[in-house]
Formats: sequence, C-alpha cells, structure tokens
Amino acid sequence: MSGAATTFSILLRPFARIAPLHRRRAGLLAITVAALAFPLLHDNDADIDAAANALAYATLALGLNIVVGFAGLLDLGYAAFFAIGAYAYGIATSFQVMPDWSPFWEPFAWLGLVAHVPGSGGPDQVHFTVSFWIMMPVSAVLAAGFGILFGAPTLRLKGDYLAIVTLGFGEIVPIVVRNWDSLTNGAMGLNGIAAPRLFGYRFGIDAEPYYYVAVGLVALLIFISTRLRDSRIGRAWMAIREDEIAAGAMGVNLVRLKLLAFAIGAGFAGMTGTFYVAKLQTATPEMFGFPVSVMILVMVVLGGIGSIWGVVVGAVLLQLLQSWFLQDLTQWIHALGRLIGMPLLLRIDLVQSIELIFGIILVVMMLYRREGLIPATRRAPALTFDQQHAEVRRGSTIALQGLGEGAKSPHPALEVRGVTVKFGGLTALKSVDITVPAGGVVAVIGPNGSGKSTLFNTITGLTHADAGRVKLYGTDILGLPPHEILALGAARTFQNIRLFPNLTVLENVLVGQHSRLRTGVLGAILHLPRTKAEEKRALEWVMEIVAVFGNRLMPRLNQTVNGLSYANRRRVEIARALASRPKLLLLDEPTAGMNPAETLELAEQIKGLHALGLTILLIEHKLDVVTNLADTVVVLDHGEKLTEGRPEVVRQNEDVITAYLGRNTAAGSAAFV
Amino acid sequence: MTTADLLLQQLINGLSLGAMYSLLALGFTLVYGILELINFAHFNVFMVGSFIAMWTLQMFGLTGQDVVMTGLPLIGVLLVTFAVTMTGSGVLGVVIERVSLRPLRNVKGPAAMITTIGVSYILFNLILLGVGADSKNFPNPLPQAELHFGDAVLRLREVLIWIVASVLMVGLWLFVQKSKMGKAMRATAQDPEAARMMGVVVDRVIVMAFFLGSALAGAGGLIFGLYYNFTSFIIGFTAGLRAFTAAVLGGIGNIPGAMAGGIIIGLIETMGGQFISTAWTDVIIFSILVLVLVFRPAGLFGRLAPSKS
Repeated sequence: MSGAATTFSILLRPFARIAPLHRRRAGLLAITVAALAFPLLHDNDADIDAAANALAYATLALGLNIVVGFAGLLDLGYAAFFAIGAYAYGIATSFQVMPDWSPFWEPFAWLGLVAHVPGSGGPDQVHFTVSFWIMMPVSAVLAAGFGILFGAPTLRLKGDYLAIVTLGFGEIVPIVVRNWDSLTNGAMGLNGIAAPRLFGYRFGIDAEPYYYVAVGLVALLIFISTRLRDSRIGRAWMAIREDEIAAGAMGVNLVRLKLLAFAIGAGFAGMTGTFYVAKLQTATPEMFGFPVSVMILVMVVLGGIGSIWGVVVGAVLLQLLQSWFLQDLTQWIHALGRLIGMPLLLRIDLVQSIELIFGIILVVMMLYRREGLIPATRRAPALTFDQQHAEVRRGSTIALQGLGEGAKSPHPALEVRGVTVKFGGLTALKSVDITVPAGGVVAVIGPNGSGKSTLFNTITGLTHADAGRVKLYGTDILGLPPHEILALGAARTFQNIRLFPNLTVLENVLVGQHSRLRTGVLGAILHLPRTKAEEKRALEWVMEIVAVFGNRLMPRLNQTVNGLSYANRRRVEIARALASRPKLLLLDEPTAGMNPAETLELAEQIKGLHALGLTILLIEHKLDVVTNLADTVVVLDHGEKLTEGRPEVVRQNEDVITAYLGRNTAAGSAAFV
Repeated sequence: MTTADLLLQQLINGLSLGAMYSLLALGFTLVYGILELINFAHFNVFMVGSFIAMWTLQMFGLTGQDVVMTGLPLIGVLLVTFAVTMTGSGVLGVVIERVSLRPLRNVKGPAAMITTIGVSYILFNLILLGVGADSKNFPNPLPQAELHFGDAVLRLREVLIWIVASVLMVGLWLFVQKSKMGKAMRATAQDPEAARMMGVVVDRVIVMAFFLGSALAGAGGLIFGLYYNFTSFIIGFTAGLRAFTAAVLGGIGNIPGAMAGGIIIGLIETMGGQFISTAWTDVIIFSILVLVLVFRPAGLFGRLAPSKS
C-alpha cells in the first residue's frame, strides 16, 4: 500500500513546484470539470446511473464521516436516517396516505403542496404533492431531529455501547417501517413516488438530471464538511475523538457537540434518502438495513476515517467496483476457467461476493492501513537536525495582556471548604480546606496517593465530591460539568498529559480557545466576516501564548503532538490551558520528567505568568521549584491537609518530614532540608 | 389453551431460548471483561458453530429428524458432537483473536471493533457462499419423549438443553473461580498491567477468554439447531444482538449476570411473542437495551468492572 502511495507521489512530482494553494485550486477545478463533463463525454445511461448512485453513497459517506471521522462516534445504524429521509419524501409524494378532502386543505392546494383528487365512488381525496426541492431540506431537518432523539439517551455512554445502541436503532427503524402498513405500505414498499421537477422540466427515468443533482449534492456536502472541519466546531469534534476527558476539561460541551455531530450526519443522510427514492421512485424496508450501514462504514474506512476527499473516493470506488469492475472481473475469471479447464473458477461470482469483499476490506484496512487510502492528516515533515538544535531562544510573557484580570477580584481565586471524596471504601480526600488568594501561587505537595490529583479533579469537575464546597472567585463550582468550570476561568493540565495526539500543536492550543469563541454551525459554514475576525483573533492569541515558550514550540506548530518530546508535550498542555484565558491556572506536576535545565526554564516561564497577575495552583514534587514559585505550600497526606504555610516554614515541619520520609528518619533528615 | 397453560408453555420455551442466549452472552462478557471490546465476530462464531454441529451429526449418518437414537449411543453421539462443536468454535475464536485482533491490541479508538465487524461479515459470507442461502435441515436424533402439564408440553430436547447449559455454566463458573487460569482471568479483568507484573501472561488469558467464549457460542449454536430443527447463515445477527442485550442487562463483564440476563431475554422473547406480537420482539428487546444502558449502565445485578482508561 505504501508502495502505491510512493508511485502516486512520483506522479505528482512535476507539480511540486506550484504553490500548494494553486495546486489545490487547479485540482479542484479539474475534478469539477471532469464531473460535469462526464455525461457529455460518456453517453451511456446505465453508466451515468451507476455514477449517480455512487455519488449518492458518497453523500452518505460524507455524513457518516462527520459522526465517525470527526467526532469519533461509531454509528452502526446510520442507514436508519437514510430511511427516514427516503420515506419522508415517499409519503409526501406518493398515493400511500390520502386523507379525505376538506376545505382545510384549500390553502395547501393553493401552495401546490397537495392536490385535490376526485373520489371514484367515495369522497374526494387529498394527494400530497410536496416538491422535491422543499423535501430535501425538510428531510434533512427531520432526520437531524431523529438523530438528536436517538443520540440523546446514548451519548453519555462510552463509545462502544453507542455502537451497539445505534445498531439497535438501525434495526428498529426498518421494523417499524415494515409493520406500519398504513403509512409505509409495509414490506411491499412505497410505489409511485413522484420524480422531481424543476421549472416545469420533469425528471423522468433518464439518469442524467439525477447525476447532476448528485454532483451538486456532493459538492455542497464537501463544502459544508470542509468548512465545519476547519472551524471551532470541527476542532471540538476532533478533540472529543482524541480524548473526551481532556476535551471536556478544555471547555468543550461534550453532549451538545456530540448531538450536533449526530444531527448533522443524520441530516446529510436524510437529504440523500430523499434524493435516492426520488431517483428510484420506490422505497422498501430492505433498502435501509444493516448491510447498508456497514457498506457506508466500509466506504469511510476505505477512503480514510475523517478524510473528506478520502470518503468520497472510497464511496465512488466501492460503487464502481460493484457496478462495473466486479462484473468484468468475474467474466475474465470464467474465461480463464474455460481456458485452463478449471470448473471451480466458473462457479466464482464476485458480484455475489461483494459483502465478503467488504469484510475483507474492513479487516485489511484496520490491520495494515488504518488511515485509509487518503489519510486525513498529512504529517508535517520532521524538523531537520539544524532546526532541532537551533539556539534555544527565551520566550516572553509581555504580550499576554489580560491574563492578570483575576488578580483584581475582591474574592479569593479559589476557596475549597470541607471537600470530601470517597471511592468505595477509600477516602481520597477528607474535609480539605484550601484558599488560593487572587494573584497568588499556591503549591500542593504530598507523597504519592495523598490525594493531590483527586483534589484537582474535584475542582475541575471530573470527580464527584461527597461533601464540601468549592468557590471560584466567589462562584460555587462544585457539581458543574468540566466545560462550565473552564468557562468560569479555571484551566488545568494533567499529571500524565492528556493532549489530542493526532492534532497539531496549533490545533491543540486552539481547542483551549473553544469556550472563548462563539462561532456556531451557520457561522462556520458561511464563514462570515465576524467568524473570520474571530478566528484571526484566536490565532493571534495562540501565537502569543506559544511565544512564551520561545522557539520550543514555534517551529513545531504544524506537527502532530504525538511526535513531540515529553517536555514539549508538557509545554503544549500548559499553552492549551492558557489559551482559554484562565483566571486560575491549575498545573499538575508541570516539570515532571524534565531535566534540570528544562525545569529551570519552565519555572521561569511560570514565574513570568505569575508576574502578569495570573493566579496559579500547582502540584509539584521538586521542592526547589515549589520554594522558588509558591507563596504558600499546602501539604496533603492520606487525603488530609497536614499543614499549610510559607515554603521555608513547611520544609522544617516535623509532620511533613515524617510523611515524606517515614518516622525513623524524621529526627535527622538533613537530606530533605 | 388456558392462559395458565400458555404461560407455562412460554416459560418452558423461554427457559430454553434463554439458556442459549446465556451461553452466547457469556462470550461477550468474557471478552469485554478483559479487553473492553464488543466482539461482533461472536455473532457469527455462534452461526458457524451451528454448522459445525450439523456437519458433525451428519457424519454420524444423521440427516433429519427421522433417525431416532436412544440410550448410550444417543449420549455418545451428543457428547462427541458437543465436544467437536465446542472445540471447533473455540479454535475459530482463537484464530480470530490471533490473526485480526492481537495486532490491534494497543491501538486506541474503534479499530478493533471495526475489525470484528469485518470478521463477522467474512464468516457470514463464507457460509453463505459455501452452503447457500436456503436454511438447512438440522439433524435431531432425540426421541419424542414428552411430559404434559395441562396443555403445556415439556419435550426431552428442552430438558437436554437445560442440563447441558447448566453443566457448561457451572463448569465455567468453577473454572473462573477455582482454577489458576480463572484467577489470572479475573486479575486481568481488574487491571491488566498489574496482572502482567505479577507474572500473568496476558496474551494467554486473552486467548483463553476467546476460546471459552467461542466454545460456549458453539454450544449455543448446537442448541439452536436442536431447538429449531434448522440452521442458516443468517441466524447469528438476531441471536447475537439479543445475547448482547442479555450481557448488558446482567452487567457486562459479570458472569452470573450474563447467565441471568440470557434467561430474562429468553422469557421476554417468548412472553412478548405470545402476549404482544412477534413482529415487535426486537423492538421490545432493543428498548430494554437502551433503557438499561441509560438508567442502569452497570446492568441489573453488576457493578461495572473498574474502567481501565
């Protein structure tokens, strides 16, 4: 497979000197022209029909890609939404549901939504004649509504449960369709679904007009997908996919964004469903079962999970494979069988084996090429030796205006009062009181297992407290979800680093800005001046923060963080927390794993942040760092506060020495002091 | 039939189906407990198991229901068939783990689950292409011994199913609780890292979980054949989903929970089919799945195994 990729890059080499933006535009233009010219150059109705179907599946793959690829939610019942859009249009244009005529329908008839059918023997009847062009957006909204309905109860579950529940919904929808005869005509299926019309032109059974609608639909959905991916919303989805807990702690409203992904993905499918039945003019429950959901998943996996162009290519490839290539290949195999006299070969029918091929594609792709044919993330080239060993330039915090706002507050930055946390029989925190004055630096120290990280998790809403109160600048925050606590101004880092591994340094830090930006779905798609200005400001702020770390991160902005050194990942995490403009920064062992020079450098940078007025709560094991930075040290042991005071005083405290070094060494612990 | 007789009859049927779902649910629970992976391949390991059983019975010269055996020959044939089916299915499970899942052991995200869907599809289509789409007559050498309670009938095959399922479940329970390997499995389910450091060969534990789970699924496939007198490439999907619901109902990762969950699902299926409508059976069962997941994600009996994030 990588061999194929190499060949591909060799083919592209002559174009390497053209600027990337121009190359992309030229490529897009070429694809558009080819797509538009195809029916003119290749006048074969069956082939155009196959291409239109392929494009319909491409739109489905694009929708599923938002759910699975962007937000990382494995949806195995995606065809249900396809069915909902299909039946919505089917019912709104066929002769299945025909209420008796009454004056109530008069205005609808005037609008052209219904027609008055004279009854043959019985009373007059109503025939729904809603336009295809109206039903496209209506089906999208309807399916999106069902997306929210199905998603809402399940999104609190872990990802793998979501897969099975969506599978269940994917089964239920065809069952309901099969059993609700009066609305859907049951297993027989809806017939006589109207073909679309446009300005008096009737789409018939000719494939060409449908092909052009499909091209338009795919273009629209590629556009929407791209805009969403590159927006605040897309970044939040990918953050959820990479690390849900970190995403929540960085201000992403998990429930809302997951539902949004579900709704938009479902909307794409609903729209496609309408298109698909308008083209076929019939709908049966079998068209929307589990095999269809799997086929769309195979398209996404083949093309590249999360890759917009990848899933389009995957869908088109698989459809063309089914409608053209496999038939030809089967005939070749049969010819070969006759030629060499092997009757076994004559029994092979690859078109029948398509699902077997799907299964093999899934397994092979997962084992050997998980990123798909066209990977979503193109890795930035690694830094050269010279770049890596360039002079370490010191950063500065001068540009970070506004980070010290919290220091002016009349309230203490953080008041922890009587917080108790129990895990089963273990009391991790026992009635702990801590006060962090506005503008101060407080360090929490204590042996491993003393409850330091539990304290942080409780403050930031990740762990449920059994008793107590936590106030952030006078506001009660205990019990709030993590993203609200971040929005109120408490941002944190994690002891064992929770970055978004497959996102770049820039994207990671930008996620920290999430709660400070306002762009919604429409803003992201339309890219209005307001959105552009907001993105520009966000980028400027991120650049200023990254500059705090000198040239440690700056040259690596477009590298994915999983390739960074340990110390650099710590720096990215601090930068990500700073991006949210916190009023209280919680650092969980920021210098762990750093060498003495790096520790010194980071301590200096933290000091710089403090000098701006930023309030900091710090967990740290290196006591020289603690002494250097903190005004107050709080010592935890076995979940209880042992003592609190100025660093030099705490270091002499007998209890502290006992807790750290054991009873026997308490008397003469020169090494510790 | 009176309502009481109907109830009794559906209780008998439900317990038999439930025993089958329990055996299948145990495979989900064993693998999930250790790997936190929903193994979709399990659906069709069950289906393949029923075919292995059919072929084994055919090798004894049995083709339909007309050849009836009794006494020791019957017991011998059944024992051999169960042994062959369970070994075959178990080995299939181990091969699936070895070939398609072990390379993905440390890959985060849905890759492993997607792979199991792929494997499931491959098994499904291999059987479809190999034996065809029509359902196959499943050999059944059991004599027509019946007990009557009013209008309700208790057949020999039901008693047999109950005995076999009970023996297998008690055996599994003893294995997990008493044997050294069982202790290693329980330790790995709690914390694979710690288990590894204490000398547990985690790979061997995982292989064992796949072997046992798949062997039980194979037994379930044999029971399916004896109960319905047919088998087909298509049986894995519905039975698998119901059994998965059973595992969730009992608290996934919880072995007695999976047994109880299977029985409950079996009873819901037969009672719902009798008193509501068979057309809505799956809707009822999925509604239960969703309700349990939303309101009691730890299942009716179990608390969730500690998460290994």
